[in-house]
Amino acid sequence: MIQLWKLYENGKWVEPFLIVSICLFVGVSVVLYLLIIESRNRKIKREKLRAEYRTKIEKLMFSVVFQNVSFLEVEENREYMALWDVYLFRKVMTESILDLHKNYEGIYAQKLEQFYKESGLINTSFKKLKSLKWEIKCKGITELAEMNVVEAFDKMIALSKARNKALKIIAINACIKLAGTKGIVHLTTHPHPIDDWTQLNIIAAFKKHDIGDTKGVELLLESQNTTVVTLGLKLIKELRLTQKLKYVEQLINRAPNASLKYEAQSVLQMLSVITI
Amino acid sequence: MTFLSNEIKWFLDVYVLLILGYAVLIMSSYLVLAYLSMKELRGYLKKNSFVDYEVLLTSEFAPSLSLIAPAYNEGFTIEENVKSLLSLNYNNYQVIVVNDGSKDNSMEILINTYDLVLTELDIHPKIETKKIRGIYASKNAAFKKLIVVDKENGGKADALNVGLNIAQNPYVVCIDVDCILDKDSLLKLAKPFLESYGKRIIATGGVVRIANQCVIKNGRLVEVNIPDVMLPRIQVLEYLRAFLLGRMAWGRLDGLLLISGAFGAFDKEIALLAGGYNTKTVGEDMELVVRMRRYMLENKLPYSVSYIPDPLCWTEAPEDFKIFKKQRSRWMRGTIETLDFHKKMFLNPKYKLLGMLSIPYWTLFEFLAPGIEFVGLVITIVLIAFGLLNWHFFFLLLLFVYFFAVFFSVLALFSEERTYHKYPKQADFFKLLLAAFIEPLYFHPMTVYAALVGYREKIKGTHGWGEMTRKGFTKKE
Repeated sequence: MIQLWKLYENGKWVEPFLIVSICLFVGVSVVLYLLIIESRNRKIKREKLRAEYRTKIEKLMFSVVFQNVSFLEVEENREYMALWDVYLFRKVMTESILDLHKNYEGIYAQKLEQFYKESGLINTSFKKLKSLKWEIKCKGITELAEMNVVEAFDKMIALSKARNKALKIIAINACIKLAGTKGIVHLTTHPHPIDDWTQLNIIAAFKKHDIGDTKGVELLLESQNTTVVTLGLKLIKELRLTQKLKYVEQLINRAPNASLKYEAQSVLQMLSVITI
Repeated sequence: MTFLSNEIKWFLDVYVLLILGYAVLIMSSYLVLAYLSMKELRGYLKKNSFVDYEVLLTSEFAPSLSLIAPAYNEGFTIEENVKSLLSLNYNNYQVIVVNDGSKDNSMEILINTYDLVLTELDIHPKIETKKIRGIYASKNAAFKKLIVVDKENGGKADALNVGLNIAQNPYVVCIDVDCILDKDSLLKLAKPFLESYGKRIIATGGVVRIANQCVIKNGRLVEVNIPDVMLPRIQVLEYLRAFLLGRMAWGRLDGLLLISGAFGAFDKEIALLAGGYNTKTVGEDMELVVRMRRYMLENKLPYSVSYIPDPLCWTEAPEDFKIFKKQRSRWMRGTIETLDFHKKMFLNPKYKLLGMLSIPYWTLFEFLAPGIEFVGLVITIVLIAFGLLNWHFFFLLLLFVYFFAVFFSVLALFSEERTYHKYPKQADFFKLLLAAFIEPLYFHPMTVYAALVGYREKIKGTHGWGEMTRKGFTKKE
């Protein structure tokens, strides 16, 4: 320490400082350059592998969906089983199953769900829910919801109470997909404000998954959380739920503030026009 | 004589310490901002990978936007540019093209292309502007979103104010008509307005990138390329540094002073309450953001300014020094004028982070930096003339600054590589890398010179933008 102070005092520190800094800048630049090159090469390699796996997986999934091939039969195929332990292969497989599931309905969708369960990919998705990283949790939720795994509903309800907004939105959307209105009634006791973006996502989920049974939406209007009440009103308005008008009327009579009262009146007015 | 030499020695020691201290301070601030930016960018991209922007497309609750595009002598490209504005991915929006007294045939082109007829609009102007000659709407239902205002020439800020007066929606998006917008740009720009609870989002801005030599088809960017010409190529690198390693951090700190005039969205009510665009400055984009923030702070209203790191807007960079010099000197004048108008905020704790950090940072590193460099250069020349320069130390200092500049550019390339990866071609990457080595020797002196011209123009009282000739994008039809 004393030596360092002496170095500073006699002004001889400037030169070593500059030389060390120059070396540092050059060194870090070289490292960054190498990292860029490595990242580019890795991306190229990964894309090649992805394309290769995708071709194999497409062939396999075709036989699963259209030729009734079960996972037990796939297990006998050495080529597939050798790849099964490869993380990227399983990842591409999950993505492919999810994409196919989005495009198929009925028996084909059920076959895909069956394969997803038998192959154990479902367990990987469940494991993701336990991850400490919110983005991994989101992936797990998306996978389980897409494959209609209703057993995951309770876990998703728990995750929908998270503080992380992205995670909350994904979990609520998944709850809506799996259980319709039942997936949002717990919001009546939600302690935090729900912003407009989250509200829009909830409404979009109702529309996207074509939730016909809206029994329970009116419960949102009874919440102490004004943003939840607003969400209820928006849902009633956007989904044209004229059968809920009596609840809107009740809200007008007991609205906690003028803004909410005005919102309710506007919904009532708009839907009354439709009813007439 | 000994006394004199002691004095000179003392002066040289102090000078070296000051120069070095300033350099270290500026470099450290860049590094801190870069660290914050990269951290924020990672978080944003993670979150964004789960965002479904379609939600905004299908909802009646999506914020309604009014696009304001001032146009002056844009006859060459206006037809295609307006077409591209009308075909953006968004539902609740209108396009207001303000013809700022163009001397060319812009109005004729617009009237003929879009079947425009004079219309009556119920306007209650809140800001005083130059006279409006006429307001036009289209007879064709396909262009019902379009309104064209023909007015007397009053400059960009005046044209934008006309747009603010006429806009029918609560949010306005101010754009340069010749910019190429990403198809989803409005979706991304509108989202932050919905995300905040308890705090009003008064403005959002996106990243602007350089489109020279990129391929444009039907008003959309279809292929990203790096320019062969060195001047715009270095500007690609410069924009990467500014947007990826700087503004994201200011966004995180909520101390952003500038939302690019090329593309930014504002809460109309607050913009009007703050007085709209200032026609007395050429830095109207920065000045409006500062004034809106000041308005919110002075009225103790909770607010925030949001920043989106996605490349949403592509613009043409000057390719020759003459135009570049005009642009940069104007930017410097704009900075000086804005800092001057709001000098009350400088180190004033009443204005919180803005007064204590953002404004001092801009003053010290954006406004004063070229001047300090110039003074340094003059002193160095004097020292050489008197044979007092320590050449060994001089070269070390030069290398110190040079390699930091190269390192910082490589860091920007690294950040780009790990995030947006917009330049996947190997050749493009090496072009940018080469630019990083050339920039400090070729481009930086030019920016300092242009900034000094800006100082001089400000002292002389020069007003206005000066003619900005554009080459036009490479079109692929």
